[in-house]
Amino acid sequence: MLIPFLDIGPLLLNGFIFTVELTLIGIFGGLAIGIALAIGDMYGGPFVSAIIRVYVEIFRGSPILVQLFIVQYALPELTNWLIVYHGFPSYFLVALNPYATAFLVFALNSGAYQKGYIKGAMETVFEDQMVAGLSVGMSRAQTISNVILPQALRIVIPAWSNEFCSLTKSTAAVALIGGFDLTAVGKTIAGLTYNVIGAYTLVAIVYLAWITLFTKVADIVYEKKKIPGIELSV
Amino acid sequence: MAGTVMECKHLWKTYKPHTVAVKDVSFQIREGEIKLIFGPSGSGKSTFLRCMAMLTMPDKGEVFLRDELLTKPGVNLNRARARIGFVFQHIYLFRHLDTISNVELALRRVLKMSRSDAQQRALDALREVKMEQWAKKYPAQLSGGQQQRVGIARAIARNPDIILLDEPTSALDPELTGEVIDTLRDLAAKGMTMLVVSHEMPFAREVADEMIFYDEGTIVETGPPEQFFTNPQSDRAKKFMTRLILKTKRD
Repeated sequence: MLIPFLDIGPLLLNGFIFTVELTLIGIFGGLAIGIALAIGDMYGGPFVSAIIRVYVEIFRGSPILVQLFIVQYALPELTNWLIVYHGFPSYFLVALNPYATAFLVFALNSGAYQKGYIKGAMETVFEDQMVAGLSVGMSRAQTISNVILPQALRIVIPAWSNEFCSLTKSTAAVALIGGFDLTAVGKTIAGLTYNVIGAYTLVAIVYLAWITLFTKVADIVYEKKKIPGIELSV
Repeated sequence: MAGTVMECKHLWKTYKPHTVAVKDVSFQIREGEIKLIFGPSGSGKSTFLRCMAMLTMPDKGEVFLRDELLTKPGVNLNRARARIGFVFQHIYLFRHLDTISNVELALRRVLKMSRSDAQQRALDALREVKMEQWAKKYPAQLSGGQQQRVGIARAIARNPDIILLDEPTSALDPELTGEVIDTLRDLAAKGMTMLVVSHEMPFAREVADEMIFYDEGTIVETGPPEQFFTNPQSDRAKKFMTRLILKTKRD
Protein backbone atom coordinates (compact mmCIF):
# COMPACT_ATOMS: atom_id res chain seq x y z
CA MET A 1 0.00 0.00 0.00
CA LEU A 2 2.82 2.40 0.83
CA ILE A 3 4.26 4.31 -2.07
CA PRO A 4 8.04 4.20 -2.28
CA PHE A 5 8.64 7.70 -0.99
CA LEU A 6 12.11 8.19 -2.41
CA ASP A 7 10.86 8.02 -6.00
CA ILE A 8 7.94 10.31 -5.64
CA GLY A 9 9.50 12.69 -3.12
CA PRO A 10 11.00 15.11 -5.65
CA LEU A 11 7.80 15.10 -7.71
CA LEU A 12 5.70 15.85 -4.70
CA LEU A 13 8.07 18.57 -3.58
CA ASN A 14 7.92 20.26 -6.98
CA GLY A 15 4.15 20.25 -7.01
CA PHE A 16 4.01 21.44 -3.44
CA ILE A 17 6.38 24.34 -4.08
CA PHE A 18 4.34 25.51 -7.05
CA THR A 19 1.09 25.30 -5.12
CA VAL A 20 2.63 27.23 -2.23
CA GLU A 21 3.97 29.90 -4.58
CA LEU A 22 0.65 30.17 -6.34
CA THR A 23 -1.36 30.47 -3.15
CA LEU A 24 1.01 33.03 -1.66
CA ILE A 25 1.11 35.14 -4.79
CA GLY A 26 -2.64 34.80 -5.11
CA ILE A 27 -3.39 35.80 -1.54
CA PHE A 28 -0.84 38.63 -1.22
CA GLY A 29 -1.22 39.89 -4.78
CA GLY A 30 -4.97 39.74 -4.18
CA LEU A 31 -4.53 41.66 -0.96
CA ALA A 32 -2.70 44.48 -2.73
CA ILE A 33 -5.32 44.53 -5.51
CA GLY A 34 -8.14 44.29 -2.98
CA ILE A 35 -6.84 47.26 -1.00
CA ALA A 36 -6.43 49.35 -4.15
CA LEU A 37 -9.93 48.41 -5.35
CA ALA A 38 -11.51 49.11 -1.95
CA ILE A 39 -9.92 52.55 -1.77
CA GLY A 40 -10.78 53.24 -5.41
CA ASP A 41 -14.38 52.22 -4.82
CA MET A 42 -14.70 54.46 -1.76
CA TYR A 43 -12.87 57.50 -3.12
CA GLY A 44 -12.59 57.24 -6.87
CA GLY A 45 -15.95 58.77 -7.67
CA PRO A 46 -18.83 57.15 -9.58
CA PHE A 47 -16.90 56.36 -12.75
CA VAL A 48 -14.02 54.50 -11.09
CA SER A 49 -16.48 52.85 -8.78
CA ALA A 50 -18.50 51.53 -11.72
CA ILE A 51 -15.40 50.11 -13.38
CA ILE A 52 -14.40 48.41 -10.16
CA ARG A 53 -17.86 46.92 -9.79
CA VAL A 54 -17.69 45.46 -13.28
CA TYR A 55 -14.24 44.02 -12.55
CA VAL A 56 -15.43 42.44 -9.33
CA GLU A 57 -18.56 40.97 -10.91
CA ILE A 58 -16.60 39.46 -13.80
CA PHE A 59 -14.13 37.74 -11.53
CA ARG A 60 -16.66 36.62 -8.96
CA GLY A 61 -19.24 35.67 -11.50
CA SER A 62 -17.32 33.20 -13.62
CA PRO A 63 -15.50 29.98 -12.73
CA ILE A 64 -11.81 30.41 -12.14
CA LEU A 65 -11.18 27.54 -14.53
CA VAL A 66 -12.84 29.52 -17.33
CA GLN A 67 -10.74 32.53 -16.40
CA LEU A 68 -7.61 30.40 -16.64
CA PHE A 69 -8.70 29.08 -20.05
CA ILE A 70 -9.41 32.56 -21.31
CA VAL A 71 -6.02 33.92 -20.35
CA GLN A 72 -4.17 30.78 -21.39
CA TYR A 73 -5.88 29.96 -24.69
CA ALA A 74 -8.24 32.74 -25.76
CA LEU A 75 -6.05 35.79 -25.17
CA PRO A 76 -3.22 34.59 -27.44
CA GLU A 77 -5.73 33.94 -30.23
CA LEU A 78 -7.48 37.24 -29.74
CA THR A 79 -4.32 39.32 -29.60
CA ASN A 80 -2.82 37.47 -32.51
CA TRP A 81 -5.92 38.16 -34.56
CA LEU A 82 -5.66 41.87 -33.70
CA ILE A 83 -2.04 41.91 -34.79
CA VAL A 84 -2.47 39.97 -37.99
CA TYR A 85 -5.74 41.44 -39.24
CA HIS A 86 -5.90 44.86 -37.64
CA GLY A 87 -2.36 46.08 -37.73
CA PHE A 88 -1.81 46.17 -33.97
CA PRO A 89 1.90 46.25 -33.04
CA SER A 90 3.38 42.88 -32.23
CA TYR A 91 3.95 43.59 -28.54
CA PHE A 92 0.18 43.34 -28.18
CA LEU A 93 0.52 39.59 -28.21
CA VAL A 94 -0.42 38.10 -24.86
CA ALA A 95 0.82 34.54 -24.70
CA LEU A 96 1.77 33.50 -21.20
CA ASN A 97 3.14 30.23 -19.96
CA PRO A 98 0.78 28.31 -17.64
CA TYR A 99 2.64 29.49 -14.56
CA ALA A 100 2.39 33.17 -15.39
CA THR A 101 -1.26 32.70 -16.30
CA ALA A 102 -1.93 31.02 -12.98
CA PHE A 103 -0.20 33.73 -10.94
CA LEU A 104 -2.02 36.47 -12.80
CA VAL A 105 -5.48 34.93 -12.70
CA PHE A 106 -5.30 33.96 -9.04
CA ALA A 107 -4.14 37.39 -7.91
CA LEU A 108 -6.79 39.14 -10.00
CA ASN A 109 -9.49 36.73 -8.90
CA SER A 110 -8.64 36.86 -5.23
CA GLY A 111 -8.38 40.65 -5.39
CA ALA A 112 -12.01 40.79 -6.49
CA TYR A 113 -13.10 38.83 -3.42
CA GLN A 114 -10.77 40.56 -1.01
CA LYS A 115 -11.96 43.98 -2.15
CA GLY A 116 -15.34 43.16 -0.62
CA TYR A 117 -13.90 42.09 2.71
CA ILE A 118 -11.53 45.04 2.92
CA LYS A 119 -14.10 47.62 1.95
CA GLY A 120 -16.50 46.21 4.51
CA ALA A 121 -13.86 46.40 7.21
CA MET A 122 -12.85 49.92 6.19
CA GLU A 123 -16.45 51.05 6.41
CA THR A 124 -16.82 49.78 9.95
CA VAL A 125 -13.90 51.90 11.19
CA PHE A 126 -14.36 54.64 8.71
CA GLU A 127 -16.45 57.49 9.84
CA ASP A 128 -15.17 58.79 13.13
CA GLN A 129 -11.58 57.77 12.43
CA MET A 130 -11.48 59.70 9.16
CA VAL A 131 -12.77 62.90 10.73
CA ALA A 132 -10.31 62.43 13.62
CA GLY A 133 -7.45 62.03 11.14
CA LEU A 134 -8.48 65.15 9.23
CA SER A 135 -8.86 67.10 12.46
CA VAL A 136 -5.19 66.68 13.33
CA GLY A 137 -4.13 67.91 9.91
CA MET A 138 -3.56 64.65 8.08
CA SER A 139 -4.74 64.30 4.49
CA ARG A 140 -7.29 61.66 3.51
CA ALA A 141 -4.54 59.48 2.07
CA GLN A 142 -2.47 59.78 5.25
CA THR A 143 -5.50 58.93 7.37
CA ILE A 144 -6.28 55.90 5.23
CA SER A 145 -2.76 54.54 5.42
CA ASN A 146 -2.04 55.41 9.07
CA VAL A 147 -5.41 54.91 10.67
CA ILE A 148 -8.11 53.26 8.57
CA LEU A 149 -6.12 50.47 6.92
CA PRO A 150 -4.23 49.33 10.04
CA GLN A 151 -7.56 48.87 11.79
CA ALA A 152 -9.40 47.42 8.79
CA LEU A 153 -6.69 44.86 8.06
CA ARG A 154 -6.82 43.62 11.64
CA ILE A 155 -10.54 43.08 11.32
CA VAL A 156 -10.22 41.39 7.96
CA ILE A 157 -7.78 38.65 9.00
CA PRO A 158 -10.38 35.93 9.75
CA ALA A 159 -12.22 36.52 6.47
CA TRP A 160 -8.88 36.65 4.71
CA SER A 161 -7.90 33.34 6.21
CA ASN A 162 -11.11 31.83 4.80
CA GLU A 163 -10.27 33.30 1.42
CA PHE A 164 -6.90 31.59 1.65
CA CYS A 165 -8.52 28.18 2.20
CA SER A 166 -10.83 28.48 -0.77
CA LEU A 167 -8.12 29.97 -2.97
CA THR A 168 -5.71 27.15 -2.16
CA LYS A 169 -8.24 24.54 -3.14
CA SER A 170 -9.08 26.35 -6.36
CA THR A 171 -5.44 26.16 -7.41
CA ALA A 172 -6.08 22.53 -8.35
CA ALA A 173 -7.62 23.96 -11.52
CA VAL A 174 -4.22 24.96 -12.91
CA ALA A 175 -3.51 21.31 -13.65
CA LEU A 176 -5.99 21.71 -16.50
CA ILE A 177 -3.91 24.36 -18.26
CA GLY A 178 -0.75 22.36 -17.85
CA GLY A 179 0.55 23.68 -14.55
CA PHE A 180 2.37 21.03 -12.55
CA ASP A 181 0.81 21.63 -9.16
CA LEU A 182 0.02 19.28 -6.28
CA THR A 183 -3.07 17.89 -7.94
CA ALA A 184 -1.22 17.30 -11.21
CA VAL A 185 1.47 15.56 -9.19
CA GLY A 186 -1.17 13.39 -7.55
CA LYS A 187 -2.42 12.34 -10.94
CA THR A 188 1.11 11.54 -12.11
CA ILE A 189 1.85 9.52 -9.01
CA ALA A 190 -1.38 7.62 -9.39
CA GLY A 191 -0.39 6.84 -12.96
CA LEU A 192 3.12 5.76 -12.04
CA THR A 193 2.23 3.62 -9.06
CA TYR A 194 -1.28 2.49 -9.96
CA ASN A 195 -2.07 3.37 -6.39
CA VAL A 196 -4.94 5.80 -6.80
CA ILE A 197 -6.03 5.76 -3.18
CA GLY A 198 -2.54 6.34 -1.83
CA ALA A 199 -1.66 9.04 -4.34
CA TYR A 200 -4.69 11.24 -3.80
CA THR A 201 -4.75 10.66 -0.06
CA LEU A 202 -1.16 11.82 0.09
CA VAL A 203 -1.94 14.91 -1.95
CA ALA A 204 -4.98 15.70 0.19
CA ILE A 205 -2.85 15.45 3.32
CA VAL A 206 -0.31 17.87 1.90
CA TYR A 207 -3.07 20.36 1.05
CA LEU A 208 -4.50 19.95 4.51
CA ALA A 209 -1.12 20.51 6.14
CA TRP A 210 -0.41 23.65 4.13
CA ILE A 211 -3.82 25.17 4.76
CA THR A 212 -3.64 24.32 8.45
CA LEU A 213 -0.20 25.83 8.78
CA PHE A 214 -1.14 29.04 7.03
CA THR A 215 -4.42 29.57 8.84
CA LYS A 216 -2.73 28.87 12.18
CA VAL A 217 -0.19 31.58 11.42
CA ALA A 218 -3.05 33.91 10.48
CA ASP A 219 -4.77 33.10 13.79
CA ILE A 220 -1.58 33.90 15.68
CA VAL A 221 -1.14 37.19 13.85
CA TYR A 222 -4.79 38.00 14.53
CA GLU A 223 -4.37 37.36 18.25
CA LYS A 224 -1.07 39.21 18.46
CA LYS A 225 -2.34 42.23 16.59
CA LYS A 226 -5.57 42.51 18.53
CA ILE A 227 -5.98 46.01 19.87
CA PRO A 228 -5.68 45.83 23.65
CA GLY A 229 -8.98 46.41 25.39
CA ILE A 230 -11.21 45.76 22.39
CA GLU A 231 -12.70 42.47 21.35
CA LEU A 232 -12.63 42.72 17.58
CA SER A 233 -15.49 41.15 15.79
CA VAL A 234 -15.92 40.44 12.13
CA MET B 1 -5.99 94.87 21.04
CA ALA B 2 -5.04 91.24 20.46
CA GLY B 3 -5.28 89.94 16.91
CA THR B 4 -8.17 87.93 15.55
CA VAL B 5 -7.43 84.20 15.54
CA MET B 6 -10.52 82.97 13.75
CA GLU B 7 -13.41 84.63 12.09
CA CYS B 8 -16.37 83.68 9.96
CA LYS B 9 -18.62 85.88 7.89
CA HIS B 10 -22.15 85.05 6.78
CA LEU B 11 -21.66 81.34 7.14
CA TRP B 12 -24.37 78.96 5.91
CA LYS B 13 -24.78 75.22 6.11
CA THR B 14 -27.97 73.42 5.14
CA TYR B 15 -28.58 69.72 5.42
CA LYS B 16 -31.02 68.36 2.95
CA PRO B 17 -33.86 68.85 2.69
CA HIS B 18 -34.71 71.71 5.01
CA THR B 19 -32.51 71.66 8.09
CA VAL B 20 -30.53 74.85 8.34
CA ALA B 21 -27.77 74.11 10.83
CA VAL B 22 -25.87 77.34 10.28
CA LYS B 23 -27.84 80.36 9.13
CA ASP B 24 -25.86 83.45 8.19
CA VAL B 25 -23.55 83.27 11.20
CA SER B 26 -20.77 85.81 11.66
CA PHE B 27 -18.36 85.37 14.50
CA GLN B 28 -14.92 86.38 15.67
CA ILE B 29 -12.50 85.18 18.33
CA ARG B 30 -9.32 86.95 19.40
CA GLU B 31 -6.02 85.79 20.79
CA GLY B 32 -6.42 84.31 24.28
CA GLU B 33 -10.20 84.60 24.34
CA ILE B 34 -12.45 81.84 25.59
CA LYS B 35 -15.89 81.77 24.08
CA LEU B 36 -18.58 79.33 25.02
CA ILE B 37 -21.43 78.33 22.77
CA PHE B 38 -24.55 76.81 24.29
CA GLY B 39 -28.08 76.14 23.21
CA PRO B 40 -30.65 73.41 22.66
CA SER B 41 -29.52 70.11 21.15
CA GLY B 42 -30.06 69.89 17.43
CA SER B 43 -29.67 73.63 17.04
CA GLY B 44 -26.55 73.27 14.85
CA LYS B 45 -23.78 74.13 17.35
CA SER B 46 -21.66 71.13 16.41
CA THR B 47 -22.12 71.77 12.72
CA PHE B 48 -21.06 75.38 13.23
CA LEU B 49 -17.94 74.25 15.08
CA ARG B 50 -17.10 71.71 12.39
CA CYS B 51 -17.56 74.33 9.70
CA MET B 52 -15.10 76.57 11.53
CA ALA B 53 -12.55 73.76 11.39
CA MET B 54 -13.55 72.99 7.79
CA LEU B 55 -14.31 69.43 8.81
CA THR B 56 -17.74 70.08 7.39
CA MET B 57 -17.73 72.24 4.30
CA PRO B 58 -19.96 75.28 4.65
CA ASP B 59 -22.31 76.03 1.74
CA LYS B 60 -21.70 79.75 1.74
CA GLY B 61 -19.72 82.35 3.61
CA GLU B 62 -16.13 82.86 4.65
CA VAL B 63 -13.94 81.33 7.32
CA PHE B 64 -10.64 82.95 8.25
CA LEU B 65 -7.78 81.52 10.26
CA ARG B 66 -5.70 84.59 11.08
CA ASP B 67 -5.51 86.30 7.67
CA GLU B 68 -5.97 83.20 5.62
CA LEU B 69 -9.29 82.65 3.91
CA LEU B 70 -10.07 78.92 4.23
CA THR B 71 -13.23 78.88 2.16
CA LYS B 72 -11.42 79.79 -1.04
CA PRO B 73 -10.95 76.93 -3.52
CA GLY B 74 -7.45 75.51 -3.61
CA VAL B 75 -6.54 76.27 0.00
CA ASN B 76 -4.51 73.54 1.66
CA LEU B 77 -7.04 72.60 4.30
CA ASN B 78 -4.84 69.93 5.85
CA ARG B 79 -2.27 72.57 6.68
CA ALA B 80 -4.95 74.83 8.10
CA ARG B 81 -6.47 72.04 10.20
CA ALA B 82 -3.03 71.28 11.58
CA ARG B 83 -3.18 74.72 13.21
CA ILE B 84 -6.62 74.11 14.71
CA GLY B 85 -7.03 71.70 17.61
CA PHE B 86 -10.35 69.87 17.64
CA VAL B 87 -11.83 67.92 20.53
CA PHE B 88 -14.84 65.74 19.80
CA GLN B 89 -17.83 64.93 21.93
CA HIS B 90 -17.29 61.23 21.30
CA ILE B 91 -13.53 61.65 21.52
CA TYR B 92 -12.55 59.65 18.41
CA LEU B 93 -9.10 58.55 19.51
CA PHE B 94 -7.22 56.35 17.04
CA ARG B 95 -8.28 52.99 18.41
CA HIS B 96 -5.30 50.96 17.27
CA LEU B 97 -2.68 53.26 18.80
CA ASP B 98 -1.63 53.65 22.41
CA THR B 99 -2.02 56.97 24.13
CA ILE B 100 1.33 58.44 23.23
CA SER B 101 1.11 57.29 19.60
CA ASN B 102 -2.29 58.94 19.36
CA VAL B 103 -0.66 62.25 20.22
CA GLU B 104 2.50 61.56 18.24
CA LEU B 105 0.93 60.56 14.93
CA ALA B 106 0.20 64.06 13.61
CA LEU B 107 3.51 65.39 14.94
CA ARG B 108 5.32 62.81 12.85
CA ARG B 109 3.13 62.78 9.76
CA VAL B 110 1.96 66.37 9.59
CA LEU B 111 4.68 68.42 11.29
CA LYS B 112 7.31 65.91 10.09
CA MET B 113 9.08 65.93 13.43
CA SER B 114 11.74 63.33 14.16
CA ARG B 115 10.68 60.33 16.24
CA SER B 116 12.46 61.50 19.37
CA ASP B 117 11.24 65.10 19.11
CA ALA B 118 7.69 63.94 18.48
CA GLN B 119 7.87 61.57 21.43
CA GLN B 120 9.13 64.33 23.68
CA ARG B 121 6.45 66.75 22.55
CA ALA B 122 3.74 64.10 22.94
CA LEU B 123 4.89 63.34 26.46
CA ASP B 124 4.83 67.04 27.30
CA ALA B 125 1.27 67.29 25.99
CA LEU B 126 0.25 64.24 28.02
CA ARG B 127 1.83 65.78 31.07
CA GLU B 128 -0.26 68.90 30.59
CA VAL B 129 -3.41 66.79 30.82
CA LYS B 130 -1.90 64.64 33.58
CA MET B 131 -1.95 61.48 31.47
CA GLU B 132 1.77 60.79 31.10
CA GLN B 133 1.65 57.68 33.27
CA TRP B 134 -0.92 56.21 30.85
CA ALA B 135 1.24 56.76 27.78
CA LYS B 136 1.41 53.07 26.87
CA LYS B 137 -2.27 52.28 27.42
CA TYR B 138 -4.72 51.88 24.55
CA PRO B 139 -7.90 53.97 24.33
CA ALA B 140 -10.15 51.03 25.18
CA GLN B 141 -8.22 50.53 28.41
CA LEU B 142 -8.96 54.05 29.66
CA SER B 143 -12.02 55.61 31.27
CA GLY B 144 -14.02 58.12 29.27
CA GLY B 145 -12.53 61.04 31.17
CA GLN B 146 -9.00 59.78 30.59
CA GLN B 147 -9.74 59.25 26.91
CA GLN B 148 -11.02 62.78 26.60
CA ARG B 149 -7.89 64.14 28.28
CA VAL B 150 -5.85 62.26 25.67
CA GLY B 151 -8.13 63.80 23.04
CA ILE B 152 -7.22 67.21 24.43
CA ALA B 153 -3.51 66.33 24.48
CA ARG B 154 -3.78 65.29 20.84
CA ALA B 155 -5.39 68.63 20.02
CA ILE B 156 -2.86 70.80 21.87
CA ALA B 157 0.34 68.91 21.00
CA ARG B 158 0.74 70.78 17.73
CA ASN B 159 0.61 74.14 19.54
CA PRO B 160 -2.45 75.11 17.54
CA ASP B 161 -3.59 78.69 17.16
CA ILE B 162 -6.93 77.76 18.68
CA ILE B 163 -8.74 74.75 20.00
CA LEU B 164 -12.36 74.00 19.23
CA LEU B 165 -14.12 71.74 21.70
CA ASP B 166 -17.43 70.12 20.81
CA GLU B 167 -19.23 69.24 24.05
CA PRO B 168 -16.10 67.67 25.49
CA THR B 169 -17.85 66.42 28.63
CA SER B 170 -21.37 65.61 27.55
CA ALA B 171 -20.67 61.98 26.64
CA LEU B 172 -19.05 61.34 30.02
CA ASP B 173 -20.45 60.16 33.34
CA PRO B 174 -20.96 63.05 35.73
CA GLU B 175 -18.11 61.94 38.00
CA LEU B 176 -15.72 62.00 35.04
CA THR B 177 -16.57 65.46 33.75
CA GLY B 178 -14.68 67.04 36.64
CA GLU B 179 -11.26 65.87 35.54
CA VAL B 180 -11.85 67.09 31.98
CA ILE B 181 -13.11 70.45 33.21
CA ASP B 182 -9.99 70.74 35.40
CA THR B 183 -7.86 70.14 32.33
CA LEU B 184 -9.70 72.83 30.40
CA ARG B 185 -9.33 75.21 33.32
CA ASP B 186 -5.54 74.64 33.21
CA LEU B 187 -5.50 75.40 29.50
CA ALA B 188 -7.53 78.54 30.06
CA ALA B 189 -5.03 79.67 32.69
CA LYS B 190 -2.24 79.27 30.13
CA GLY B 191 -3.97 81.66 27.79
CA MET B 192 -5.12 79.15 25.18
CA THR B 193 -7.65 80.53 22.70
CA MET B 194 -10.70 78.32 22.98
CA LEU B 195 -14.10 78.01 21.40
CA VAL B 196 -16.14 75.56 23.45
CA VAL B 197 -19.58 74.13 22.92
CA SER B 198 -20.66 73.19 26.42
CA HIS B 199 -23.38 73.36 29.01
CA GLU B 200 -21.02 73.29 31.98
CA MET B 201 -22.31 76.49 33.47
CA PRO B 202 -20.00 76.80 36.48
CA PHE B 203 -17.05 76.40 34.12
CA ALA B 204 -18.50 78.96 31.75
CA ARG B 205 -19.03 81.46 34.52
CA GLU B 206 -15.49 80.99 35.71
CA VAL B 207 -13.47 81.14 32.50
CA ALA B 208 -15.56 82.35 29.56
CA ASP B 209 -14.97 85.85 28.23
CA GLU B 210 -18.16 85.62 26.28
CA MET B 211 -21.09 83.29 26.06
CA ILE B 212 -23.01 82.71 22.87
CA PHE B 213 -26.56 81.44 22.87
CA TYR B 214 -27.11 79.48 19.69
CA ASP B 215 -30.52 78.32 18.56
CA GLU B 216 -32.07 77.23 15.26
CA GLY B 217 -28.85 77.65 13.35
CA THR B 218 -28.01 81.12 14.47
CA ILE B 219 -26.49 83.22 17.22
CA VAL B 220 -29.39 84.58 19.23
CA GLU B 221 -27.53 86.44 21.93
CA THR B 222 -23.97 87.07 23.01
CA GLY B 223 -22.64 88.63 26.17
CA PRO B 224 -20.50 88.13 29.24
CA PRO B 225 -21.51 85.16 31.44
CA GLU B 226 -23.02 87.43 34.08
CA GLN B 227 -25.51 88.74 31.59
CA PHE B 228 -26.85 85.25 30.97
CA PHE B 229 -26.89 84.26 34.61
CA THR B 230 -28.61 87.41 35.82
CA ASN B 231 -30.41 89.04 32.96
CA PRO B 232 -30.60 87.33 29.55
CA GLN B 233 -31.92 89.73 26.94
CA SER B 234 -33.77 87.41 24.60
CA ASP B 235 -36.80 85.36 25.59
CA ARG B 236 -35.37 82.17 24.18
CA ALA B 237 -32.15 82.53 26.15
CA LYS B 238 -34.14 83.40 29.27
CA LYS B 239 -36.23 80.23 28.95
CA PHE B 240 -33.20 78.07 28.19
CA MET B 241 -31.19 79.43 31.11
CA THR B 242 -34.08 78.87 33.51
CA ARG B 243 -34.36 75.26 32.47
CA LEU B 244 -30.60 74.78 32.57
CA ILE B 245 -30.25 76.28 36.04
CA LEU B 246 -33.14 74.18 37.33
CA LYS B 247 -31.55 71.07 35.91
CA THR B 248 -28.14 71.95 37.37
CA LYS B 249 -29.74 72.42 40.79
CA ARG B 250 -31.46 69.02 40.49
CA ASP B 251 -28.15 67.39 39.63
